[in-house]
Amino acid sequence: MQQLDNQEILMKLKSQKQFWDIKKKIKQGFNDQQKIGVNDIQKFAQSCEIEDQLIKLISHILKKSKKRETLKEDQIEFLNTSKIKWTELLFKNLDIVHQKTKNQEEDDTNTDSKLYIYDEKNLLAFLQTFKQQQSNTLYQNVQFQSNKILNINIPLKSSQSILDKYQYLLLQEELSDEKINKIRKQIENEHLDIELEKIAQTFVPNGERCLLYLKYFEFDHQDTVLQQHFAKLQKECLNQLFYDELLEIDGHEISEDTFYFVFQEQILTCLKCFIRDRTIKENIRIQLQSGIKKEHAEFQLPITGFFPFKNISKYVAPLCYLSTKIHIIYALFKEFFCRYFCFLHSISSESNSILSLCMQIEEIVSTRSPKLFHHLKIIGCDTLKLIIHQLVYCFIGDMDPPHILTIYDQIIGHDSLEILVILCVGFLNKYKSKLLLAKNQENVQQIFSELREDRFQELVQYAYKQ
Amino acid sequence: MQNKKLKWKSDFEKSVIIENFVNRGWIKSQEKEEEQTDWNVYWATVWNVRNIFNPKNGFRLNDQQIINHFPNHYELTRKDCMVKNLKRFKREQDKEVLEIFNFDFLPTTYIFPGEYSLFVEEFHRNPNQTWIVKPAARSQGKGIFLLRKIQQLKKISGTTVTSNMTQLNLASKENYVVSRYIDNPLLIGGKKFDLRMYVLVTNYKPLKVWIYNKGFGRFCNEQYTTDVAEIENMFVHLTNVAIQQYSDKYSQKHGGKYSIDALKLYVESAYGTDALNKMMDDIHNIMLTSLKSVQAVIQNDKHCFEMYGYDILLDSNLKPWLIEINASPSLTTTTPVDKNLKMNLINDVYNIVLPNDDFPDNDQKQQQPTKVGGFTLLYDENLDPNNRKTQKRQSVKIWK
Repeated sequence: MQQLDNQEILMKLKSQKQFWDIKKKIKQGFNDQQKIGVNDIQKFAQSCEIEDQLIKLISHILKKSKKRETLKEDQIEFLNTSKIKWTELLFKNLDIVHQKTKNQEEDDTNTDSKLYIYDEKNLLAFLQTFKQQQSNTLYQNVQFQSNKILNINIPLKSSQSILDKYQYLLLQEELSDEKINKIRKQIENEHLDIELEKIAQTFVPNGERCLLYLKYFEFDHQDTVLQQHFAKLQKECLNQLFYDELLEIDGHEISEDTFYFVFQEQILTCLKCFIRDRTIKENIRIQLQSGIKKEHAEFQLPITGFFPFKNISKYVAPLCYLSTKIHIIYALFKEFFCRYFCFLHSISSESNSILSLCMQIEEIVSTRSPKLFHHLKIIGCDTLKLIIHQLVYCFIGDMDPPHILTIYDQIIGHDSLEILVILCVGFLNKYKSKLLLAKNQENVQQIFSELREDRFQELVQYAYKQ
Repeated sequence: MQNKKLKWKSDFEKSVIIENFVNRGWIKSQEKEEEQTDWNVYWATVWNVRNIFNPKNGFRLNDQQIINHFPNHYELTRKDCMVKNLKRFKREQDKEVLEIFNFDFLPTTYIFPGEYSLFVEEFHRNPNQTWIVKPAARSQGKGIFLLRKIQQLKKISGTTVTSNMTQLNLASKENYVVSRYIDNPLLIGGKKFDLRMYVLVTNYKPLKVWIYNKGFGRFCNEQYTTDVAEIENMFVHLTNVAIQQYSDKYSQKHGGKYSIDALKLYVESAYGTDALNKMMDDIHNIMLTSLKSVQAVIQNDKHCFEMYGYDILLDSNLKPWLIEINASPSLTTTTPVDKNLKMNLINDVYNIVLPNDDFPDNDQKQQQPTKVGGFTLLYDENLDPNNRKTQKRQSVKIWK
């Protein structure tokens, strides 16, 4: 981690508007006094909370100065070897997909739609294989609980702490126009990420959401830079890659969605640029594939360092609501993916990883709704199999866009994906009574195939019902 | 409780109408074709309404009958009448001291054949302007084309048309309206769309107007372009579902329909809350001004109500333009979402016009709440008519 010296900190402070506001306040506090000592300034600063503001500002600068490092190795060695196996599996899938596309070119009647490298079910099935390896010598002390799909010995936050963390959402009321206007002004004037996070946790007005996100990611004065970067990537799209075809196929589902079909072309353009973006590898928080180079393989990993997967289009779609400028949509999508969504596809013990989130969900449902948990097991529909799609794709396609954007707000608000645990638990509780009557998988599918409307606040309420 | 066994009749075999009537426990009228009397609720075609109100037929509706059109609805819903009435209303309003109404939502329009010479003058003044030609009384995009050369009018005259002609003889007896084509529509995803919104008028004198909170954008399937080579490509320019359904890219799943709620979220998020509020204010202005323009000419009748389908186009500055008003907006459902919308729409219409299956008197109508299902009261002339602006602002709030 690069340390800043005092001079560098001062330089960075001087580039922040808040620094000059604080300085102005101090000057005004002393009026025209000629001699002002350091102690005087300190006392004054403490008395009117300027000291707190300065501390926050300095921590913000120090935090931003840390170069984001991509997590490559997990603290648990078992997961590192699993990541390699996962990557090998994906390379095999890639070969199969490539063969299928060749066959389709030759035979138009063969319209096999499974032209993707992996989907959420494949990912969950792979995670399930960890359990079979529980009995090996690596984890001799692990208590083997046969009722859960996943029970790996990784450091896990207590599920109660997650429930406690989001309990404030139960108390959220509709805000008055006056309060909303106040929040609007706050967003316009605020720059510190911890303050923006606080706003995102509470309420983000639709009209200011894009600005909040841009500020949080420090893109608010970067329009030209973002535009140039995107234009450069668009030029590179003139050279076709095999993965482009997979992205086009992936886009078919989103093109049928009543809320996102209008953005179909933009989504595809963003994704084609994404898989050509060299900066992703250095910006992504966690390495998804192990980066094995297959010497004589026809295809290598894209330059991003990971394979595009089924429904990757979904992550872009809600962000298309936020701007008319495609380079802004792209920048936001890239940042969301590199900071958050990457964890949903990572083999890792990190708290945001799909593995941890799944285990949290199983833990909460098995302890707070044991009847449901066991009933689903008996009828052959494990809890995680039921919820994995909603979890991996953040409920996109299940909830209307305003609710999805609220989920994105909460992700930024807590710099975490844990809100998805709450929503998944709420989702299962909402349909609990119907699920308890289901006798088999077909019954369960019937429940979810009916026209339904799931809402953010509603699922939060259900998450805390027992 | 809706449990009165009213008799219903419908000229349309549409599930959203019939299911609504059946769900209310109403009974289908068994009257014969030539009889006109044995019903309480009639969802009629405009032609049958005209027959019913034709004095020559000697038919009078009783207090327990309600029908879905005003006798001369065409004053608003025929394109040429709408334009004529709006222009007349504007001339009247220009003489008033107070400017209450804004008319800047109707593209420059000429009615053929009468205003042909005026059109030619304008055409020559702006030779690069594209115009859109529409039959005055047809629907579903039939007979519509874009015009850049006078000679193209041969399509409707049947004979060669040259630019020095001052008169146009039409091959058929129908009128045409020719409007300045809005060539800078708001695009989403590069595609043109227009809005279909629903307005219910339960009375013209005094005017009482309800606006529905659900509607949709109807999207073209091809990327928009002003390229002259694509001027005849209807999949680029005409948003009618009746046309777009023949595109290779048409989707059965969404039918090219994008909800108003989604559009509002997009506009607010991408352009800001103030921009959204202004856009909605302008749309409400279009609705009120157009209805006011025919208030004096429409034959008001206590047995009548009318649910209009407003077609509105947004330009790239988010300014709404009035395209047309439909007396019989389509009740065909193309997707499950569409069916849900229209089922609720018809249900809410009858919850307003026949609350609890009762035929409300004037007092009961006055006591109605300002929000019924998805309908919000947009304007009630019984309230202080000078507070029209205040009502508009309130209705935007209610709408949101």
